[in-house]
Amino acid sequence: MVVLVLITTFVLLFVLGVPIAFCLGISTLATMLMTMDFMPAVTTISQRMAGGVNSFALLAIPLFILSGQLMAQGGIARRIIDFSKALIGSVPGGLAFVNVISCALFGAISGSAVAATSAIGGFMIPEMNKEGYDRDFNAAVTATASTSGLLIPPSNILIVYAVASGGVSIAALFIAGYAPGILLAVSIMVVCAVYARRHGFPAGARVPFSVLWRCTVAAVPSLFLIVLVIGGILGGIFTATEAGAIAVLYAWLLSAVFYREISLADLGQILLKSAETTAIVMFLVATSMAMSWLLAYQNIPATVAEALVDLSDNPIVILLLINLVLLMVGVFMDMTPAVLIFTPIFLPVAVELGMSPLHFGIMMVLNLCIGLCTPPVGSILFVGCAIAKTSIGKIVRPMIPMYAAMFLALMVVTYWPGFSEFLPRFFGLID
Amino acid sequence: MSKIIKIIDAFLTRFLILLMLLLVGSVLWQVISRYVFASPSSWTEEIARFLLIWISLSGAVYAFRTGMHLGLDILPKKLEGRAADLLKWFTIALVVLFSFTVLVVGGISLVMMTWELKQYSAVLGLPMSWVYSVIPAAGVLICFYALAALVDNDIGKPHDAVLSGD
Repeated sequence: MVVLVLITTFVLLFVLGVPIAFCLGISTLATMLMTMDFMPAVTTISQRMAGGVNSFALLAIPLFILSGQLMAQGGIARRIIDFSKALIGSVPGGLAFVNVISCALFGAISGSAVAATSAIGGFMIPEMNKEGYDRDFNAAVTATASTSGLLIPPSNILIVYAVASGGVSIAALFIAGYAPGILLAVSIMVVCAVYARRHGFPAGARVPFSVLWRCTVAAVPSLFLIVLVIGGILGGIFTATEAGAIAVLYAWLLSAVFYREISLADLGQILLKSAETTAIVMFLVATSMAMSWLLAYQNIPATVAEALVDLSDNPIVILLLINLVLLMVGVFMDMTPAVLIFTPIFLPVAVELGMSPLHFGIMMVLNLCIGLCTPPVGSILFVGCAIAKTSIGKIVRPMIPMYAAMFLALMVVTYWPGFSEFLPRFFGLID
Repeated sequence: MSKIIKIIDAFLTRFLILLMLLLVGSVLWQVISRYVFASPSSWTEEIARFLLIWISLSGAVYAFRTGMHLGLDILPKKLEGRAADLLKWFTIALVVLFSFTVLVVGGISLVMMTWELKQYSAVLGLPMSWVYSVIPAAGVLICFYALAALVDNDIGKPHDAVLSGD
């Protein structure tokens, strides 16, 4: 009954277009008022909201957002594209591969799939259109490839998961994200290869070694950000949050001092924009935490666990069920609240089945990446379509093989724990 | 009215930029103090966490102002004319409802509770009521901007327009 009120209020408000953070807050309030007086209810919610964002681990998020915004200005996208082009542009359908690699690299550096779609897609899609690649295909490649950057560290959503799971190491999650993130990018490239063959996409000119060298040298300062952050965390030199601050300092030195692409006036804009993006994510975190508390208070996670175990005692079936539910959630809900609300519900079940919390987190994020590029909510899809000058309806066709590839990658990650765990184990981050 | 809006816009944007700078500064200082001065400071972590609370709440006000909070925009985009206006005001009314009850009333109650219980932060000894005071303040500002929308009808103004003040 209580859950029914919660879900009905949420869905109703969501469909009407009320901002998700407020949908979460209002449906939590409505549900609490059924069993509680007004004052304790509102006081508890505001307390849970403030408590939810009062976390040192979450502090990494505004810092990576800011460093991403600094890196997203101007020439860095261009340098990454030139580098990828020199690397792989000369194979048939080369520009599609260049697009995928650039989106993954830029997504990793900027931590935002939307930023990757607009920055890389802004250059690549018009160029691909000009070279005779299929317009709808171009939008589909860019949108799906951008999500792989969310698994390749530094990754804000993995930080959110670390908090939601109550103590999985961020360093271990970051390292665990590499193999699945790269797998995702590779599986999209496989689709591209098939497409390129079938449609006879052109190959780019072969570049001499000197050009490859020059492009690599030009891209190194941008890519070094990843080395600095991950190296620092792995080496135990600083925490993920401190790495965020170092990333901000490095990105600022690179873009403002070294490349001179950011003026002091731009800096104010970038700080404000970052504060806004931070608050959008954090306000979602705050209201999600309030709802998550309510669910725990109503004993929902235990009820769901029982129901799942009643449905089947086969771990393979239960994991498939969890994945299907998460896919549906991902279609409608933004990643942050999805992770914060569904981790406490599904993680205990997964652990019961013998899955490690680390493995579950990677699976969940990869799963939600698929939802990120499905209509009606996926904002990257809209950005991609706008750049390619096509519509959501038209790109569904080229998207279908992409979804299939992503789903296959999800199945590999779900049923092969070692795939996510071997790198963190190699570095001694888990036993 | 539009003059007051401009003043609050100017204040809010500058305040957010300042908070963001302080946040970066305090975490950087934590790394520097540990490696350069070999004496890790313990207050930086606490102050950074409190700054995050303040950015989250005041930034949420700003995101309401710029119309940037994430939501499903299929229905709002489909509707036209009177129906679209009605839906927009319904949404704003719900945001105000939540902001007033939870952020303003709940927030004030939380501030008073921590004040009476004399809760102080672990490291700096700051009264927690000060930290939490941003909650009702943000609630009041969201209500203010909603009211301003009644007069000026420009909620969801793009980022750049708020910045340049026109």
